[in-house]
Amino acid sequence: MSDIYDLVKRYPWLPSLKTYYSDIALKNPLDFISEIFSSNKSEELESRVLNLFNDAFNKIEHLSEYELDEINIYVYLILRILLYIINDKILSNRIANIYSKTTYNELNKENEYNLYYIYQDLNLKVIYEEQPFVYKKFVVKEQKEIFKTNFKISFLDYLKLASNLKDEYRKLVNNALLQGYVYIKPENINRLLQEHVRKKLLIQNNEVSSDFEKFKERLFEIHEFKKLYTTITKIWESKKEEFEYSIDITFKEGKDYSGILPPCIKEILSKAQEGQNLVHTERLFILWFLNSLKYPEDKIINVFSTLPDFDREKTAYQVKYAMKKGYTPYSCKSLKSYNLCFANEYKDPICLEGYYSRMQDEQKFISHPLKYIEVKEYRDSKKLKKTKNQSQDQK
Amino acid sequence: MKSFEYLKRRFKEYYKDNKEKIPLVSLFDQREFGFIPWDQQIRMIRHMGFATRDNLIKHLINNGPRHVYSSGSLYLNPENKDMKNKSYLGCDIIIDIDVDHFYTPCKEDHDIWYCKECGKNGKGMVEKCPNCKKSKLKKLNWICEKCLNVAKKEIIKLIYDFLIPDFNIDIEKMKIAFSGHRGYHLKIEDNDLRTLSSDERREIIDYITGEGISYEILGLRKMGDNIFGFSRETIGWSQKINRKIEEILKKTNIEIETLLSDKRTFNLNKNFIENLLNYKNNFLNIIESDNMNNWTLVNSNLNTWYKFLGAIVEEIGIEVDVPVAIDIHRLIRYPGSLHGKTGFKVQELNPNDLDDFNPLDEQTEKLDPIVFVSKVQTIQKLEIIESDVPATKIKGETFGPYKLGDKIEIPHHIAVFLLCKGVAKSI
Ligand code: SF4
Ligand SMILES: [Zn+2]
Ligand SMILES: [Zn+2]
Repeated sequence: MSDIYDLVKRYPWLPSLKTYYSDIALKNPLDFISEIFSSNKSEELESRVLNLFNDAFNKIEHLSEYELDEINIYVYLILRILLYIINDKILSNRIANIYSKTTYNELNKENEYNLYYIYQDLNLKVIYEEQPFVYKKFVVKEQKEIFKTNFKISFLDYLKLASNLKDEYRKLVNNALLQGYVYIKPENINRLLQEHVRKKLLIQNNEVSSDFEKFKERLFEIHEFKKLYTTITKIWESKKEEFEYSIDITFKEGKDYSGILPPCIKEILSKAQEGQNLVHTERLFILWFLNSLKYPEDKIINVFSTLPDFDREKTAYQVKYAMKKGYTPYSCKSLKSYNLCFANEYKDPICLEGYYSRMQDEQKFISHPLKYIEVKEYRDSKKLKKTKNQSQDQK
Repeated sequence: MKSFEYLKRRFKEYYKDNKEKIPLVSLFDQREFGFIPWDQQIRMIRHMGFATRDNLIKHLINNGPRHVYSSGSLYLNPENKDMKNKSYLGCDIIIDIDVDHFYTPCKEDHDIWYCKECGKNGKGMVEKCPNCKKSKLKKLNWICEKCLNVAKKEIIKLIYDFLIPDFNIDIEKMKIAFSGHRGYHLKIEDNDLRTLSSDERREIIDYITGEGISYEILGLRKMGDNIFGFSRETIGWSQKINRKIEEILKKTNIEIETLLSDKRTFNLNKNFIENLLNYKNNFLNIIESDNMNNWTLVNSNLNTWYKFLGAIVEEIGIEVDVPVAIDIHRLIRYPGSLHGKTGFKVQELNPNDLDDFNPLDEQTEKLDPIVFVSKVQTIQKLEIIESDVPATKIKGETFGPYKLGDKIEIPHHIAVFLLCKGVAKSI
């Protein structure tokens, strides 16, 4: 077993940070930053923070370095301050995702004793049972798949960690609840902790108040900090665009489809870009939709790569499976029932007013997002012709 | 209106005569209170707080309100109108089971609807007019022992199939009450549970109702032409489903057929039922065994199974009023107060009282919600002002059905009931 000092170094978000490293954790952020940047650790710290941002900017899925020393604690604390100051949703999500995913991987390497301590430190009501407990069993023909675990977590703590994930697998109704506890494998608790850590890094800062500006000003008086901040924001400025357009919808060579997507798709794509969680139905829909546009497999997978729980292998498998099966994406009616229709929010005229069908000589409503694309494409091509004609006229 | 004045007087008297018996809810001074007075226009007076029970009783005696509520939530300043300044501290878990929200066969006898659009009328539970498909309906919903029993069974299921075995909730922390009309509510008073957010509550309710269940995650598989079901050892809902299937298969063939072909629930086709019956004993063996779970039936595809399992889940799940359960600012009826639509008392119950409790004919006096039975037989004269009034059976005696204009002579408690229901006036 590692001692708790070491665990806190590995996982600086543990509550014990305040007890064991009270000298750092309880300090006023301004003092902390000015002290740390004038210490001999300054250089190493800066380089690690920069690397971390670079990993995120280069869309690497896991941090390339994660040292388990005291500086790791500083990295975490500085990261929170930086994200708060930079105040950019896409960037924050990106960093929070990559950082928390690394946390998840690290946690999965821990032995059960350490995990138990970590859960205790977080004040989770987790019980470790000496004998592993069979909580799920699949029997298909001769094959048996048995799920056992030594861990169980009180349903209250489970809900507090999981209810925001909105994922079928994590719904209480699909889990092994007995006598107040959910039987769960440690990697699944760790997955919940990943989300916990992710949220810890996303300190919402909706209103830019004068206090915020003052705080920022004071921080910038610390020269090294300002330098670090400037370096990061500069790179971000140049990379930002790449992120915003990272999901290109050109599925036929050279053709740009981003302008002809229906609101329901746009909404999910922008959520994915921001690195927000997608619920199961959103995932299926986007997958089937892009697939029916014959969107290339690797590009579909990339759409999911920004999600907090992205797992390349699993996603690749699911995408392949869906492609093989060729499911039809949901209709507008189903999307409406899932609250995934965003026609009103986007005030989209095609969705709201429908289109005029020449063939049937009548007003028709969009009943399927794929139909939307067809209509939109047709309209745009006509517009294009018009402007072309107009410019010819002018000649 | 005359009858409102009359009822208000009677309600005031009740509170005066029973002031010692009105219970004190826990953390009384942190609750928000709400009242609906006897006005033509229904309006709720909210955001009231009382420092002591005596103050509340005084208010009840002075005003004799039509309905009395207190919050499941706790606030630092319950009387503050602004949610922010109210300072929310937490909220009890409240689960409301009300016959209003689900079908019972007896509604065909006693729930009357009238279409304001086309004038058609009928009995039973309808959402919109079967004739013109509009939903401008006037409804007269009644009660009987049967539907109140269904509601009671749901509460018992909730406690003994879910809250105790799955959630391990201490029975001492559960407060149950008959609502005074068509249902029951159950309140869990527990400091940890009080901190749950609305989303987290929704997860509990989804568990209790079976909403969002995924058969695949629980282990249903299709491999070639075979369908593999749930294993007995999988903890949670799949076990409940297996147990229910077992229970159904142990019925007689005729019973199974009636159940599974019921249009309102299973609504399965003849083929599936026939195959199931042929395979019944095998299937029972498989369900009861640890190592087999091939559920393949002749001619059964995955869709039929989904339908079958869907109906099973409905049977197991509890009929809960979901919005009430996830709303953390909702008010519920105060125990011991009177329900303005019936004149019945909101009766607090211990889980142990539930089995024998019979709201319309209760033998234990202190649990009796019918409070307006006079010691000396007094007869009251009323005139019916509604075109059709279903029969009412209270305390073993049946009154009605009545028609518009009927002049009737009835005992006091029935008179209060009919006046509260708004179907009669004093003459
Ligand atoms: S109307 Fe259809 S296409 Fe348009 S946003 Fe809604 S679901 Fe999507
Ligand atoms: Zn009608
Ligand atoms: Zn009934």
